[in-house]
Amino acid sequence: MRTNRIMLQGISSGCGKSTLVALLCRHFRSLGLKVAPFKAQNLSLNSFVTSEGKEIGISQAFQAWAAGIEPEGAMNPILLKPGGEQGIQVVLEGRPVSNLRSGEELDRKMLLEVVSRSFDVLATRFDLIVIEGAGSPAELNLRGRDIANMRTAEMLDSPVVLVGDIDRGGVFAGIYGTHQLLAEKERARIKGYIINRFRGDGSILGPGISRLSELTGVPCLGVMPMVDLHLPSEDALTIDVSRIASADGDAREVWKQDLDALLAAGQKHLDLDMLRSIAFS
Amino acid sequence: MDLANKVREEVEKGVIGPDEQCEHYPCHFQGQDCSFCYCPLYPCLDPDLGKMVISRKGKEVWSCQDCYYVHRNDVAKDLMAALVLERQVPPDDPTVRKLKADLERAHAKRAQAIMVLGATSGAGKSLITAALCRILSDGGYRVAPFKSQNMSLNSCVTKGGDEIARIQELQARAARAEPIAAMNPILLKPKGNAVSQVIVNGRPYQDMDVQHYYGEFVLGKGLEVIRVAYDELARTNDFVVIEGAGSPAEINLGERDIANMRTAEIANADCILVVNMEWGGAFAYAYGTLKLLPEEHRRRFKGIVLNNMHGDAQCLRPGIEELERRLGIPVLGVVPHIDLTIPMEDSMTIASQCSDEERIRVGVVRLPRISNFTDFEALAIEPGVSIIYVTEPRQLELVEAIILPGTKNTIEDLAWLKEKGLFLAIKQRGGRIPIIGICGGFQMLGAKIIDATGVEGGTPQEVEGLGLLSSVTYFDAYDKRTVQVEGVLLATGERIRGYEIHMGRTESAEKPLLRVSDGKKEYEEGARSADGMVMGTYLHGAFDLPPFRRLLVEKARASPRSLDTELVYQDEVEESLQKLARTVEKAIDLSSVISERKEGV
Repeated sequence: MRTNRIMLQGISSGCGKSTLVALLCRHFRSLGLKVAPFKAQNLSLNSFVTSEGKEIGISQAFQAWAAGIEPEGAMNPILLKPGGEQGIQVVLEGRPVSNLRSGEELDRKMLLEVVSRSFDVLATRFDLIVIEGAGSPAELNLRGRDIANMRTAEMLDSPVVLVGDIDRGGVFAGIYGTHQLLAEKERARIKGYIINRFRGDGSILGPGISRLSELTGVPCLGVMPMVDLHLPSEDALTIDVSRIASADGDAREVWKQDLDALLAAGQKHLDLDMLRSIAFS
Repeated sequence: MDLANKVREEVEKGVIGPDEQCEHYPCHFQGQDCSFCYCPLYPCLDPDLGKMVISRKGKEVWSCQDCYYVHRNDVAKDLMAALVLERQVPPDDPTVRKLKADLERAHAKRAQAIMVLGATSGAGKSLITAALCRILSDGGYRVAPFKSQNMSLNSCVTKGGDEIARIQELQARAARAEPIAAMNPILLKPKGNAVSQVIVNGRPYQDMDVQHYYGEFVLGKGLEVIRVAYDELARTNDFVVIEGAGSPAEINLGERDIANMRTAEIANADCILVVNMEWGGAFAYAYGTLKLLPEEHRRRFKGIVLNNMHGDAQCLRPGIEELERRLGIPVLGVVPHIDLTIPMEDSMTIASQCSDEERIRVGVVRLPRISNFTDFEALAIEPGVSIIYVTEPRQLELVEAIILPGTKNTIEDLAWLKEKGLFLAIKQRGGRIPIIGICGGFQMLGAKIIDATGVEGGTPQEVEGLGLLSSVTYFDAYDKRTVQVEGVLLATGERIRGYEIHMGRTESAEKPLLRVSDGKKEYEEGARSADGMVMGTYLHGAFDLPPFRRLLVEKARASPRSLDTELVYQDEVEESLQKLARTVEKAIDLSSVISERKEGV
């Protein structure tokens, strides 16, 4: 039987998809499923070293802990670390392999093979893989070159849910624009959208959600409230001090406690049954 | 004739500016020029400036009691100069007509409105608005910023005692204009639970919840307040640069969003959409925003600005072309990311300008190739600790501790430190405030870096480090160490945990900072100076557990507080505004939004 899968793609980076992947990992784990996170390609200077000495994006480590498992190299097969004149350091399957100089490109076919191989490493051992995209899938200037989003979704034949951050404003436009700028067959993979990081009274969003679902033809799978988290941020160079309340002790433990608050919010505000049936379709 | 004598007297006195002693002041607007209490152009019969009314005697007379024109200080100055040159004061009718035509060529009766809207909040509208204010002011125009409705906890008080958002004060500074209430007539200060204190025209008006505000206030009183405030600015300036709020395409708000397209309509503004490139998804946000607007609003958009671009804008070409083709609206330019010391507008960041004596500001040096900056998020768990990113030497005046973070390239970033003057500035603070180097930052703290094979720098070289530690780092092979470790912080004996990701190895004569084990062997790691003020380690995640961050805070609290931070700050702001204006001017084509109005400017 094929391993179940679901992919979250963001309408921008920093929209909270890493956190929602962690939430879904936690949720499915609480249902008794064996679940693992997966992100094909990370462009980040924030990395973590697994117990086997493999280097992966730090978010995948946190997501693995959310899933109740140890982080491993296969969870993030491609890690690109932008450097100086040495170019971008390429970490494949947890090990540095080369430096990419400006203008040089990696062989996409080879990369997709690496992605596929790592995914299979996980797929044989888990019931469900929660996949995370990278940045936005609708970067017009990267058309045909971005492998981290729709190329991965297609190769792994995964359904996709879009995530938009409402705290920044413009979330309806962002989701609508992303949906519209995708190619027809990519658009067909989108099974719904989640509005993330909402503050305030959800009733005022009603008219906007109805209109957006009408325009895109896909349902809203929930409006997640803003939850104060102590998660490390993956890409953005922002340290939101207000996010971090006074706390004592181990930052990793602080984060795990937050995760339970996050899951409780998810159970209340997300259509987790629908997300499960999308993953199990 | 009485009027003729009055004008003669006025011309003899010259420009007097605002007459605050006058019992009628301000009879037109705050800050008005009172040189021409009697207008030499009376009766101008210009329907833009006045109207015919029936006098008490039942006669038709020309009324200009609503005219601001001759009370603008720039208009008054030019008119006075022209009158002094005239041999005949007051002038005859043909001369009056000529004087007025000359004035109008130089000073528009009503300002041209340019509105800057964002696809999201934080798109950079505030700063693009500030940049336009400065660019236009540099062009010799009289300019005012305007934001009809602002939600912010960061406010300040004008000379007139009115409260406006701090960012409008900054934009006024960019426009070289005195901040006034009309620049931000509605200010919402969130109080929690969806209730805000509503400030109208600079004074507290009422506390309202979301339903009350959008349900009752905005479409009645709200729009009226905006109209009156905008009108004041429009009649006293050549340009009003308007900032929108959030996104104009919040389809759940529709016409109740008075801060964006409703304001654009009131001002009949040409609009620019600003999108932040840093987060990704900019094309989709731009496309979605403009497509969700009704045609009558979309028509106002003269262009799109892609803001805050890191790296080479050339790679955006194919995307820009497709976006322009699909929208029929041009991309006016790509503005690069700029490092500025300017207070940012963000409704959601709680005002953190507290003057808490206990507060510790930790300066993280913002190396161009900074890596693993998540290391410092844990630091902010400590109460009172805030983190600022440092790119200029004088910013070090503001901090009580310095961290040199990890970098993807130690040698190149060390060169950058020297270029920026940070190298010396950090060195000078050795022993005075705690300085901590992590990974690449640790390597920089040492005396020397020897790259014998060119692994790090491309060519073999030996580079001088900060010398705050005596250590020497060797890059002798393309070999990367990636390992998890656990151990103790030797200064306190407490547990510490982290991981190493680095190339190169470092030898120090100083005492080690840690004793750790990677599961295979136990070893001493890092270094610390004799006074304990300089510490270096390869460990990432070292601040995750409390001991190391507490040690840092303790050392920082014991070091002397910095002085004169406000002065340093003011200079920084002015310099930042100049830098901002020059960068934006270079990056975007403003010809479609700024029509030339003055000759010879």
